[in-house]
Amino acid sequence: MKLLAKIAALAGSAALAPMAMADTADGEALKSMSWDEVVEMARGGEVNWFLWGGSDNINRYVTEFIGGILKDEYDITLNRVGLTDTVEAVNIVLGELESGVTDEGSVDMIWINGENFRTMKQGNMAYCGYMDVLPNNALVNWDNPAIANDFGVPVDGCEVPWSKAQFAFAYDTARTPNPPKSIGELIAWVKENPGAFTYPAPPDFNGSVFVRHVFYHAAGGVDRLLVPFDQALYDEVAAKTWQILNDMESDLWREGATYPTSINALAELFANSEVDLYFNYEPAGFGLNVENGIFPPTTSSYGLTDGTIGNTNYTIIPINSPHKAAALVLQNVLLSGEAQYHKARPDVWGTKPAIEVDRTSAEIQEKFGSIERHPSVVAPAELAKAALPELHSAWITAVEEGWIANVGQ
Amino acid sequence: MRGRESMFTRGFRALTGAVLITWLVLPLIPLGIWSFARGWYFPDLLPRNWSLRAWEYTLSDTAGVIECLWLTIGISLAATFLSIIVGVPAGRALGLYRFRGKELVELMILAPTIVPGIAVVLGIHSVFIALGLNNTVGGVIIVHLIPTLPYMVLVMSGIFANYDPSYEAQARSLGASALETFWYITVPAIMPGVIVGGLFAFLVSWSQYILTLLIGGGKVVTLPLLLFNFATSNRNDITGAIGMIYILPGILILLMTARHLSGRSSAVGGFGTI
Repeated sequence: MKLLAKIAALAGSAALAPMAMADTADGEALKSMSWDEVVEMARGGEVNWFLWGGSDNINRYVTEFIGGILKDEYDITLNRVGLTDTVEAVNIVLGELESGVTDEGSVDMIWINGENFRTMKQGNMAYCGYMDVLPNNALVNWDNPAIANDFGVPVDGCEVPWSKAQFAFAYDTARTPNPPKSIGELIAWVKENPGAFTYPAPPDFNGSVFVRHVFYHAAGGVDRLLVPFDQALYDEVAAKTWQILNDMESDLWREGATYPTSINALAELFANSEVDLYFNYEPAGFGLNVENGIFPPTTSSYGLTDGTIGNTNYTIIPINSPHKAAALVLQNVLLSGEAQYHKARPDVWGTKPAIEVDRTSAEIQEKFGSIERHPSVVAPAELAKAALPELHSAWITAVEEGWIANVGQ
Repeated sequence: MRGRESMFTRGFRALTGAVLITWLVLPLIPLGIWSFARGWYFPDLLPRNWSLRAWEYTLSDTAGVIECLWLTIGISLAATFLSIIVGVPAGRALGLYRFRGKELVELMILAPTIVPGIAVVLGIHSVFIALGLNNTVGGVIIVHLIPTLPYMVLVMSGIFANYDPSYEAQARSLGASALETFWYITVPAIMPGVIVGGLFAFLVSWSQYILTLLIGGGKVVTLPLLLFNFATSNRNDITGAIGMIYILPGILILLMTARHLSGRSSAVGGFGTI
């Protein structure tokens, strides 16, 4: 045992000794450089981007379109690392930092938001404060609270917005001519159509956001909830929420004996006509599911008259990334009008831009104007008319735990 | 009487064989169909629309499946080889000898099959970083030994428990060298166990996800990493296509070693063949 510890210590000190110097790990130095200097430093290098890898459309957009731009214009090699769950990349960074790997980590960029961002920011695991270096940062409206806050956590220059998403419902027009258009209507509709609705059990991301819509409804509107966590207020609203959801339970799919454990399970139930309603935080997914043959072509989608919850997703550079210059170039490319337009095309991905389209060139604006929405995807402008903010993560955790204790049990 | 009995055993064997094949093959049929389907909805027995899209993506450079296939085969073969090198002497010690603390050693070797990997993987990660083994193919091969060794050692200690070392002594007394004894006496006797244990080791290494992701740090991408991305995101078509490629080596190895897996094999029954 002693010998083993010795060997480990020896090997450890060897690993910590300055080996091949990581090229652009020094983030502070980059902040004082001009953009041209950053690009020069990044040229010929590589960047390892960790992101959820479960969609061939997104993978193709990232590897072929974005990777192509990086290679052709900057001679940077983009290495896309597919994840099943974003927390896996956060854990790699966490493990490295705990082991003293401060400037030659494996992760140069992560597609992130919400809880994972909070972990990275609170743990000082993010490279922050470089926004002014990026020329395309001018296209981002940081005055918009939905951009400047990530699930109630101020961004503070620690991540760059990539796309916006807003919750919407999907249904099959051939099967369900009149879907419920508000949470109030939904509650009545479930009673009239037993077995036709269910939702994934929190802490599933989408199941959790559905429960929050009911929570907002029970509170009589979100405005009172936009405060730091308040136990008395929570208790009052939560009691009403669990009442509604428990009353609903016997009319859910399989009499509420069980809930789907993931949003994908709900997608499968909807695809197989077992339930009549589907929902997702990313409405572009409805169109992709139709294109990929998962949903029938008669699928349509809509937002609620009392509003649906929206969020922004971002890209973050870990503090121990050895290729920060290349990661900055990648972020700048992602923010460009051309890349945001390409991403918004329904045949590519169909997700909403995180930049202000009217700040882009006339040519890009025209391209955005010419986008034909996938017929199954609700118009973003339509959705945006009634957008609701996300709560502080303390609220979200309380609602998730409360659901498990009072409804899921 | 003997004839009837053997007929019964033969019948039973055929039946279990048929059940096993059904279990192994039937679940693969929908997977195969899915890989060519463009949507497949509930009451339809077969998909209405067929498409090569999933295969087109799977075989594209973007997906990187083929590149991963060779790397995964290499890693799993290397992990299997190292498992045999470590597992045979360990199995011999555990199967043949009694010594102080044997139960503790057995428990330690079995621990990786009892303790959930997710609970220890972060600790393993920092150890591998300290050793400078993270983000390397070698590191991934070594970390795969943690889940593969219990199977290898367990099978080998079963083999050696029923192994009579006096055959080795006989060979030595007849003038064979230590190497000749090992090659002509020990190896043939333990071969069935090496094959079965090696098969387990290969398949366990073949299916590692979280250990590969963390220790490989995204630099070492194996097939399960790509497969699970799609399997967890409801893409039955691409999961089917990658899955078809994913099961190939397993089936090949199973076919090659099938006769050692039958009831006649000493590795399964635990009886020496000498």
